[in-house]
Amino acid sequence: MMLAWVGQKLCRLLRKPPVLAFILLLSLIYCLMSLLDQRLLTLSSSDPDDPSARPPINPSLILESVRPDGNTTDDPGPVALSCRNSVQGIELIADDRGHVCERRHLVSTGCCDTEIPSTRRYQCDSCSEHGCCSVYEHCISCCLHPDKKPLLHTVLGKASQHRYNLVYSSVTDQFELCLTKCRTSSLSVLHQNVYRNARMKFCYGVMAPPLDRTE
Amino acid sequence: MAGLRWCLVVLLAFLTALASLGDEVPGEGAVTDHEGHANCQPGVGQRVQVEFASSVVEHEYIVGFNNYYTKEARRNFITAALNHSGVVQWKILPRDNPAKHLPSDFDVLEIRESDPGTGLAALERHPNVRRVTRQRLVVRTLKFVSVNETELASEDAPEADEEEEDAGDAAEEGAEEPVEGSEEGDAAAVEEGDEEEVASVKFQPPRRSFTLGNKAFWHSTGRHNGRKLLKAVPRQVTSILQADRLWKQFGFTGKGVKVAIFDTGLKKGHPHFRRVKERTNWTSERTLDDAVGHGTFVTGVIASQADCLGFAPDAELHIFRIFTKKQSSFTSWFLDAFNYAILKKVHILNLSIGGPDFTDQPFVDKVWEITANGIIMVSAIGNDGPLYGTLNNPADQLDVIGVGGINFEDQIARFSSRGMTTWELPAGYGRVKPDLVTYGSAVRGSNVGGGCKTLSGTSVASPVVAGAVALLMSAVLHRGSVINPASVKQALMASARRLPGVSMYEQGAGKLDLIKAHHVLSRYKPQASLSPSYIDLTECHYMWPFCTQPLYHTGMPIIVNVTILNGMGVSGRIIEGPTWHPYPRQYGHLLQMSFSHSEVIWPWSGFLAVSIAVTEEGASWDGQVQGHVELTIESPPEDGDTEPRRSTVRLPVKAVIIATPPRSVRVLWDQYHNLRYPPGYFPRDILNTVHDPLDWLGDHIHTNFRDMYQSLRAHNYYVEVLGEPFTCFDAKNYGTLLIADPEEEYFPEEAAKLRRDVDEGLSVLIFAEWYNVPVMKKVKFFDENTKEWWIPDTGGANLPALTDLYNTLTVTDTSLGVLREWWIPDTGGANLPAQTDLEWWIPDTGGANLPALTDLYNTLTVTDTSLGVLREWWIPDTGGANLPALNDLLAAWGMAFSDQVVEGEYKFNDHDQYYASGTTLARFPAEGTVIRHTLNDQVSEILEGTKQTVPDAAILGLYQTRGAAGGGRIVLYGDSSCIDSNHNQKECFTLLSALLHFTSSGQLPSTLQPATTVPVQPVLELPERADGSNLHRHSKVLVNDLDGRTQRPLPPCMERLWAVPQPVNQSGPVNLYQSAKLLSVGLESPVLPLHNDQRDSLEEAQTTWPDPLEDLDSGPLGPSFRRPHLPTYGLVALLIASVCVLCYLYRKSRRPRRRRTKQAVVQQQQQQQRRALSASNGRVPVV
Repeated sequence: MMLAWVGQKLCRLLRKPPVLAFILLLSLIYCLMSLLDQRLLTLSSSDPDDPSARPPINPSLILESVRPDGNTTDDPGPVALSCRNSVQGIELIADDRGHVCERRHLVSTGCCDTEIPSTRRYQCDSCSEHGCCSVYEHCISCCLHPDKKPLLHTVLGKASQHRYNLVYSSVTDQFELCLTKCRTSSLSVLHQNVYRNARMKFCYGVMAPPLDRTE
Repeated sequence: MAGLRWCLVVLLAFLTALASLGDEVPGEGAVTDHEGHANCQPGVGQRVQVEFASSVVEHEYIVGFNNYYTKEARRNFITAALNHSGVVQWKILPRDNPAKHLPSDFDVLEIRESDPGTGLAALERHPNVRRVTRQRLVVRTLKFVSVNETELASEDAPEADEEEEDAGDAAEEGAEEPVEGSEEGDAAAVEEGDEEEVASVKFQPPRRSFTLGNKAFWHSTGRHNGRKLLKAVPRQVTSILQADRLWKQFGFTGKGVKVAIFDTGLKKGHPHFRRVKERTNWTSERTLDDAVGHGTFVTGVIASQADCLGFAPDAELHIFRIFTKKQSSFTSWFLDAFNYAILKKVHILNLSIGGPDFTDQPFVDKVWEITANGIIMVSAIGNDGPLYGTLNNPADQLDVIGVGGINFEDQIARFSSRGMTTWELPAGYGRVKPDLVTYGSAVRGSNVGGGCKTLSGTSVASPVVAGAVALLMSAVLHRGSVINPASVKQALMASARRLPGVSMYEQGAGKLDLIKAHHVLSRYKPQASLSPSYIDLTECHYMWPFCTQPLYHTGMPIIVNVTILNGMGVSGRIIEGPTWHPYPRQYGHLLQMSFSHSEVIWPWSGFLAVSIAVTEEGASWDGQVQGHVELTIESPPEDGDTEPRRSTVRLPVKAVIIATPPRSVRVLWDQYHNLRYPPGYFPRDILNTVHDPLDWLGDHIHTNFRDMYQSLRAHNYYVEVLGEPFTCFDAKNYGTLLIADPEEEYFPEEAAKLRRDVDEGLSVLIFAEWYNVPVMKKVKFFDENTKEWWIPDTGGANLPALTDLYNTLTVTDTSLGVLREWWIPDTGGANLPAQTDLEWWIPDTGGANLPALTDLYNTLTVTDTSLGVLREWWIPDTGGANLPALNDLLAAWGMAFSDQVVEGEYKFNDHDQYYASGTTLARFPAEGTVIRHTLNDQVSEILEGTKQTVPDAAILGLYQTRGAAGGGRIVLYGDSSCIDSNHNQKECFTLLSALLHFTSSGQLPSTLQPATTVPVQPVLELPERADGSNLHRHSKVLVNDLDGRTQRPLPPCMERLWAVPQPVNQSGPVNLYQSAKLLSVGLESPVLPLHNDQRDSLEEAQTTWPDPLEDLDSGPLGPSFRRPHLPTYGLVALLIASVCVLCYLYRKSRRPRRRRTKQAVVQQQQQQQRRALSASNGRVPVV
């Protein structure tokens, strides 16, 4: 009895236009809020799956970028106040001026000591015409040569088409590009667990390392 | 008397009440054990004091064993031990109790002899005997004392007594504890803290204090090693590892540290994380979210800020989604993702994954590259325990911190993979891994949908360490390049707390100690160090297996593979040494050493393989010897140094030498002819093992043949390992050559030498396996995942990702296509990063147009692995064993194995035996003894699906050769599964020992004499080598060419260059363990005292973060800052306002149309009057 009465009252209340309008508005607010929330969040965390969220790669921006010391990468002077370098090498190190030297010839600025005769600039000794090298540091040095810029333009242009987009859009200048491009990557392997070419596996060029069919 | 009964009633009531309290019961139980008397106290006004007195019982000794054994086994051990000691009068005293039929770990022995020392010493030398103690008669008395007697004295007494009783190795280990202030200090400190806590928080329910007591319990590692009360503990790892001390006292919360988490992703805006810097996807699936829950959990353990706390909530998180929903991943995905991590300059990388394939060179190289760039990589050691030799890559790499799991009882978790590494086999010897252990069982972490869940596995232990490292690193960020992968690993290992009674292959350096690691790291000075930091071949149980067998002249050199960690720079070299400095006073000159080491110590790490042998001078000498090895490591200058950095490290060595044992008890294990999975496809030895079809274990006596090794040692056989061809050992030294489950071919020179050796008295014991070409073709498989990594979800699970691919004997391999030979250093040690030593082979018969498909794959047009790019058919390279090769070897004696595959149960000496997919004898000399049993035919079962039996299958043959001068014996058994711990089958060590008895003495035990001997009818057709087998690709014997049948030339035997000893006139310490310490510099930063009295309470397993907002204010709001507060709330306010306005407008528009009743009109008029009145005089008349 009591229940029926309450139910009737409730039904009548719900039928009233102001109540209906109120409910409608509430759902509208909720809808808008969650939408807005989503959009804000999307903007705040980078989402590689969303192409619009990731800035397109601009090859010229990367390759013509200005160094921290004011010089452009076009013609960096051979002497610098401080350098970034390739960090990882067993024996050799390449700095961002394109020098390759032995680890012990690295000065405290992070640059190669250019006084030492064994320090060489833009060294392509171990690199083939495909743009692949057998020594990682040579690959970096060779890749930093100003002549390689058109090639790197093509690399970046191609890169924007596949997964490497993610990596290259984080690159800020030619040194970082060379550092990253020369590393072994998904392009270097065949069947997942072998190198396409174990000897020439560090490539700055467009091509994947040529398949090594010799035994 | 009545008082006592009353007291017991009260005690009982108290215990019942405790039981109803739930969680903390067991812990409290422990407390009542100690202080039961105190609990009676309130009601009685009296307490029971326990007193006891003990006296030695003459001639009786308690012999403790290292494990639980049956009565017969125990008797055998004692008999074996006392055999040559000259003790005649002894007996085992019967113990008549209900447990007498169950296995036990001790016996009471009565020895009567003139010189009791010799018998006891002989007993103690036995490998299975843990200790021998005198039997004591203990008299306990209970008495009442009034309460007002001093508490302290009576409370301390029973505890001290118990410790004494517990004694044994626990106390010994305790004494060896490296922690300054030792355990008592720690426990006492914590207890004091507890009291303070209780005093200050008045309203605290009393049971909390018991939980506090438990905390002392966890850290009192090994105090009660033998028996432990199971107790419910809060699984908040951060509290147990005392991360809250670093949070609260110093405010370190991981800020400024970039942590990369390679896992199954993380959903957007998970409430537990406040600094997700970036999420990236590297899989073929178009999502960033975690569909599995693994990634969320792992991230939670590292950085959760709510509910179940992580270690470093302010660490900057870089989430790499590298696993698909099906938990699969490919090397190529990893390569790109690792490159991105290097580019982003992350500090720490957690990889809670692993796979058995350490031959995946691009991946291994990339991991080296990661650490070479200064990224600290932490990885899970694997969930393939409790088997030994089951480590996973990349955790087994020198430069990676490989983490094993323990439970909250400080026991190694069953699932946690055990060492040693198997990269170095057969010629070398494995390294010690895991590096350290931490909680990995039933740990709480974040759930995908919010809240927490509990998980177990080494993939849980790994983020515990990664999170701890992130927290530590935020505390020492100012130290710059001093903090690098090597220094962090050195600090973690130097500060780890060793678990007693656990071998180094299970625990590495020990259990993570966060506070102590902070202590070490904040004072760290760049240096090189070694792991293990000393070689004590006598130290059981830590130095297992080295401590199980003494050294002797003519024995194969023992190799200890030491890892060098170099915190001075990513690249280094050994510039001086290693040199061997024996201590003449301690007979060190009786040892000779040979070293092999990494040419370059890169990245941050290298190996030093120390081969130890006994000189001829020590041929009949018994005793302990000592000395040390020294080497100097140099790294190029860094951080403004002008001089190269140098560090000299010393490796103390201690060993036991015995006189060379007689030939008959020396067994040589053939390691050289074992091949296994990572490079090629070698199927399991048991065909109906469905869950794990690959033979991927090293088949070494210290890995999956460990149980067999221990059984042999228990029977006093001396086992040595041959990592070279048969041409490289002197058969005069050995009684038996043991060949089990061999897959490799044999050089003709080997066959010839073996024949000569047998003529001269060497016996050969072979445990073979099945080999049937049609069956092998049947078990070929369809490879779907070239590089399948698996995620350990739960403990004990084995390659879950592979399981579902396996049906009806279809096997999955994870290596495909190009297979290569791994270059193995001469004498142990790890593989060098030199690519020139690798050889590569590319299959000539690829299933598809691979280059084209690879390009297709690279451009990501292949979104699913099921597209068929990476599939190929694979046929096993051998059967369970390489029988054609074995038959060639045995042809000289007119013996051969058949291609039958049989399976079934039979009885040997009343023991049930299981013959699991073994072969039978096809030819055997008529004079030999043959044992037959009727077994099931597996060939027909697999090929046709019909059940048939092989009546009287000849499974075992024993034969005494007729050599010129007492020829050796040959024993063939068709199945090796029963001596391999891998298969969880019934073991056959009794059979093995009977067979060894025959091979070593020539006497056929009665158990091996069949009632009737039916000679084997020679079968003409023997198993042929399978066509199209790729064995030559992995073989050390065959040339890798198209034919696959031609053999290589016999490699020369290893020449060891013994180091010139440089004696030092000094003495080594008795206990080598304590000598390992890291150098430190003066204090630069505040360091937490190790034993802080103001310990935080654990009872409130923290569920809230101290003060997150304050923290956020100080730093810039990251782009990932979780909720955009201001705009949202503004919007809500605006909307509410607009609702109000709308309502108002609506009502206004409706008002004119509303009909008013008369009453309403009247009321309104009255109201208006009232308002007018109140406006005039301020009062309203009450009507």
